[in-house]
Amino acid sequence: MTEKPVLFKGTRNGLSIYTDSKADISAIKGALEKKLQESRHFFNGTTVNLIFTGRVFSEQEQQDLIEISSRYITVGSFEFKGPESQPVQDDHRAVDPFESFNGSEEGMTRFIRGTVRNGQRILYNGNIVILGDVNPGAEIIAEGNILILGTIRGMAHAGAAGDTKAVVAAFCLQPTQLRIAGCIARAPEGEAEKPQYPEIAYIKNNQLVIEPYLPGKGK
Amino acid sequence: MGEVIVITSGKGGVGKTTTTANIGTALALEGKKVVLVDADIGLRNLDIVLGLENRIVYDLVDVIEKTCRLKQALVRDKRFEGLYLLPAAQTRDKNAVSPEQMQQLCEELKQEFDYVLIDCPAGIEQGFKNAVAGADKAIIVTVPEVSAVRDADRIIGLLASSELPDPKLVINRVRTDMVKRGDMINIDDTLDILGIDLIGVVPDDEKIIVSSNRGEPVVAETSSPAGKAFRNIAKRILGENIPYHELEVEETFMERLRKLFSSRKSTRSL
Repeated sequence: MTEKPVLFKGTRNGLSIYTDSKADISAIKGALEKKLQESRHFFNGTTVNLIFTGRVFSEQEQQDLIEISSRYITVGSFEFKGPESQPVQDDHRAVDPFESFNGSEEGMTRFIRGTVRNGQRILYNGNIVILGDVNPGAEIIAEGNILILGTIRGMAHAGAAGDTKAVVAAFCLQPTQLRIAGCIARAPEGEAEKPQYPEIAYIKNNQLVIEPYLPGKGK
Repeated sequence: MGEVIVITSGKGGVGKTTTTANIGTALALEGKKVVLVDADIGLRNLDIVLGLENRIVYDLVDVIEKTCRLKQALVRDKRFEGLYLLPAAQTRDKNAVSPEQMQQLCEELKQEFDYVLIDCPAGIEQGFKNAVAGADKAIIVTVPEVSAVRDADRIIGLLASSELPDPKLVINRVRTDMVKRGDMINIDDTLDILGIDLIGVVPDDEKIIVSSNRGEPVVAETSSPAGKAFRNIAKRILGENIPYHELEVEETFMERLRKLFSSRKSTRSL
C-alpha cells in the first residue's frame, strides 16, 4: 500500500477516490482538497460521480468530504464503499481502454481549432491536435501525443503523465521549450534557423531528439 | 446608432493614448461626431494629450455615480468640430467602476455619437475589463518589440473570450531605417504571429512627442508622417480602401542590387 492518504482513479462509473484506512481524517481532507485544487481545470465544467473506497467514514465526515469536493467540482452522485474494495495504484495503466487513457498508441483526442495564444493553456489526458499555431507563452500539456498543424512557438509537454513513447510533431517546430515525459529541452541559444519542413520530437536513449519528419519512414 | 471601439495593447507605453487622441481627431476632421472616453481611472492622460486638462469639471466616475448628467461631463474640443472628451477621474481607482456600468455608459454614448473611442489602461485587470465591457470592436496597438507583440497576443486571446473577436492591429513607432537594415522585427513576422488584420502602420515621429506635450494632436499637421498614418487609419475605419504606403521603404539602386544577390545566394543554399 502506498503512503499517500488519497489516490484518484478515473473509472467508467466516475472518479474513484481511494482513502488510506490508517490515515487521519484531517490528513485525508487536506490531501483531497489539494488534489482537487490541482485538477480543478481538468474537471472544469463536467459533473463528476465520486466513489470513495478504503477508509470507513462517519456521517459527518462523509458530509465534510462531499462539501470539500463540491467546492472544486460539480459532484453528481457519491458512494462510500468502505474498506473491502481494492486500493488503486497511482501509476497503474489500465488494460481496459475505457477505464483510463492508454498512452500514445490510441485513446481520446482533443482537437483545437485556431491559434492558441499567450497565456492560454490546453490540458488534456489524451492526445492533442492543434489546427493552427501555438504562440509564445501558450502551454500545451497532453498525457499522449501532441500534433500541431501549424507553427509552435510556445511550450509543449507530451506524455505529461510519464509516457516516454509520446511524441510532439509540428509543421514548424520552434518551441520555447519542449517536454516529453520527464525530459525537458529548450531551443538552442542564438538565432535559430526557421525549419522549412515538418519535424518530430521523441525520446531516444533517455534524450529528447528532434528529427525531420519524413513521410513513410515514420517513427 | 454609433460604434464603440476600444483601443488597447496590454503593454504600457506603446501609444494607446496617442493613438486614441489622433484617430479620434482624424474621425472628427472627417466630419464625424466622436467622443473619446478615458478609461484609465487614476492615471488619466488623454486630456493632457488633447490639451483639454484645464477644462475638466466632471468626470467619468461622476457620471456613473450620478453626481452629474452625462452632458455636463463631456468636454467639447473647440478646435475640432464634433470632438468630445469624457475624462477619467484622477482621485479614484479602477474599482470605482464596474463592467456593467461601463456597458451602460457606452450604450448611452452610442445614441449620441457616431464613434465612441475608449482609451484602455495597460494591463489585463479591472481597468481592462471595464474598458472592453461596452466595446463593439477593438483596435490593438503594438510596437515592433518582442515584449509588446507578446502582450498583444495575450490581449487578442482575452478579447476572443470576451466576445470581441477579429480585432484590428496598429503597429506604432516603426523606424523605417531600422526595418531597412533588418534590425527591427519585420511587420510581416508580427502579422504572422498575431494572425489579425492590420489597420495601420505608424512611423516613429519626433513630432508626436512635441505635439503630445503641447496638447495638439499630430493629425492636424499635414507635414507629419505619423499624422498622415493616423488619418489613413481613420479613413480605413470609415471603410475606405487606403493602400499601405507606410510599409514601403525606399531603396536605392545599389541596395536593390545587393538584395537581389543575397536572395539568390540564400535560395542556392537551400
